Amino acid sequence: MTPSISLRGVGRRFGAAWALADVNLDLAPGVTGLLGPNGAGKTTLLRLLATALSPTRGQVCVLGLDPAVPAERTGIRRRLGYLPQEIGFPRGFSAFAFVDYIAVLKEWTQPAVRHAEVRRVLDLVDLGGISTKRIRAMSGGQRRRLALAQALLGSPPVLILDEPTAGVDPEQRAALRNVLAELARTSIVVLSTHQTEDVAALCERVIVLDCGRVRYNGQVTELVGRAAGRVWLADAPDVAASASWRTGTGRYRNVAEHARAGVEHVEPSLEDAYLLLRGGTRPDSGDVREVLS
Amino acid sequence: MTSWHVDEMALRRWIGRSDSLADSASVEQHLLWCDQCRERVNAAVTGRPAPGVVDLGDMWSQIRDAVELPRPSVFERLLQRAGLPAHDAKLVAVASAFRGKWLAGVTGVLTFVALAAAVGHSRGVWLFLAVAPLVPCIAVAFSYDPKVDPALEPELVTPYPALRLVLLRTVAILAMALPAVALFGLFVPGRAPYTWLLPAVGCVAAVLALSTWTSSLRAAVAVSAVWLVVVWSLVAQAGSPDVVLHARFQIGYLVLAVTSTVIFLVRGRHVREFRPRRR
Amino acid sequence: MHGSRSDAALLAAIGERDLAAMRVLYDRHAAWLSVRLTRRCNDCDAVADAVQDTFVAVWRKPQGFRGDGDVAAWLWGIAIRRLVSRLRSHREVMARFEMMDATLVPAAEDQVLLSVEYGDIGQALARLSPEMRAVIQAVVLDGLTAKEAARLLDMPVGSVKTRLSRAKAHLRAALAEGLP
Repeated sequence: MTPSISLRGVGRRFGAAWALADVNLDLAPGVTGLLGPNGAGKTTLLRLLATALSPTRGQVCVLGLDPAVPAERTGIRRRLGYLPQEIGFPRGFSAFAFVDYIAVLKEWTQPAVRHAEVRRVLDLVDLGGISTKRIRAMSGGQRRRLALAQALLGSPPVLILDEPTAGVDPEQRAALRNVLAELARTSIVVLSTHQTEDVAALCERVIVLDCGRVRYNGQVTELVGRAAGRVWLADAPDVAASASWRTGTGRYRNVAEHARAGVEHVEPSLEDAYLLLRGGTRPDSGDVREVLS
Repeated sequence: MTSWHVDEMALRRWIGRSDSLADSASVEQHLLWCDQCRERVNAAVTGRPAPGVVDLGDMWSQIRDAVELPRPSVFERLLQRAGLPAHDAKLVAVASAFRGKWLAGVTGVLTFVALAAAVGHSRGVWLFLAVAPLVPCIAVAFSYDPKVDPALEPELVTPYPALRLVLLRTVAILAMALPAVALFGLFVPGRAPYTWLLPAVGCVAAVLALSTWTSSLRAAVAVSAVWLVVVWSLVAQAGSPDVVLHARFQIGYLVLAVTSTVIFLVRGRHVREFRPRRR
Repeated sequence: MHGSRSDAALLAAIGERDLAAMRVLYDRHAAWLSVRLTRRCNDCDAVADAVQDTFVAVWRKPQGFRGDGDVAAWLWGIAIRRLVSRLRSHREVMARFEMMDATLVPAAEDQVLLSVEYGDIGQALARLSPEMRAVIQAVVLDGLTAKEAARLLDMPVGSVKTRLSRAKAHLRAALAEGLP
């Protein structure tokens, strides 16, 4: 039976505000990207999938188990790896000690087997050589990789990652992509990110969230296809465009709802498609207001 | 240096221990500064495990373990000696409550309070009675509160039973905090120090029970506030601090302890829920 | 990346908690250290323990190497002393004089090599008794103090000193004899 996650009519409320509303999803093995501005509900959705939160409304089903039932929730947690958005580390721990501690919590009771597994995941994120370094002496990118390492313990069938590449330099990011791609052959990997390049390079499917609702759920290629013929380069920003920005070459890239003729069209990227979908706000801005075209 | 290297026969005789002192001295001196010949020794010895010859691979594993594996703290070893399995001892010891700085802080507070009690007579005793039962409460709250225990989020979604973890940590804290407060209680004149044990256990149980609804830190603050109000009003009425420990109140503390424990065990599954701050 | 680094550079990396550098240092030196130690004491476990202790000690205090001389010599100094202290605590199999077999005579070609390296000392040494050779090796070649040598060879300190002075006297006589 292939592993799967499904959400039906899921909503989550905090106080009076609904962080998520009416979410219907089906996830299968492979990498699914989660895009959306700050406050869209990405972290809430990931926490829901990771059984850290329970939904106010709707049903969640992970690997055939219901997280609302305590015994089944434990069953899910045995097959789950989770990387939170912000992570704190216990004081005075070395990298090895931290992953070892999480491994104990994941029920790896035999020391020899556990230590071998700790070394394996540390090598996967390329921290094996500095496993004895104190965490407080590590850089932000190294800490992020360490946090990812604990999620990879046991090669879980479900891997939930909240901004795994934040603060990680380009070479390391490329290495991480390989690790995740390898795991995604049999596991369900969901990752949220602000970088459309990560989604474009790594994900087959993408979910776009906005104001707690799903705006798009499908193949990356299909989303990119929607922007075909709607992206062009010009020497000056085009007022008729939904969005327009200066590229590194000094020319302006323009994106608009309606295809225009007689302009220098270019191949659309995922970022272009995302902008079209969101009506012109870039993914890494915290802005939720619509840009009038 | 010269380009002279040890010839193959001499090297083999050296490794096989069949040469003379002079020859071996020569080889050994040479090896001190020649990396190439050292590599030749390495090549000759590696991959030939035999009795009487050291196993280089095995030795490296031992070295790596000695260097990499975190050494169990004194507290961890104590717990293991007490019968707890090694991995459980590790989990209990990691809790913030067992950190040196926290312990030092608690010791400082208790010393101050005990001194005040010994010197200030009835006022001091009142202060001690008010503070002593709260110490284990706050210790328990700190040992698994989300805001205080920094690694909570990944810990939250692990399969390790939350109830067991909290109970283990609570028992370990009580085993440590209660004798400490008892020791300081010896300096307090008046009632025997053990009479405040029940109030202390009652308060701790109440904190645990409340933590199934709200965060453990808020629970500890609430219980502390209620306790202080109770002590103040009782003492104001009766005029002497001893009344708080009177027999009829002891029954009340016992009831509190038992009902709180029952509530905690029944609602145990709520202990591990995430309660994010409102945005 | 590590393979071309000097030993001193590896020690600096070890100071930065680089386990990979430690592995390279181990691969370079563990083999010859083990063989040389086994020649002082044929107890395999004691030798393994001593080598392990050595590298753990290097990990804990790589700055103990002051930059004077070869790293290899520094490592040997740590290793032989670790072996000696282990032997003191175990008191099991120790260095035995039988290892320095008096009947073994160096082959003709080696004689030539030896005279290039050591001149007539080789022959003079070969004529000493096994106990005296052991003492010379421990004190002169391995750099141990009389006390440490006494522990290694399982003989009283006084005996070490007398044998050492006798050995030196013999060598002086043999060399003087050899001069044309």
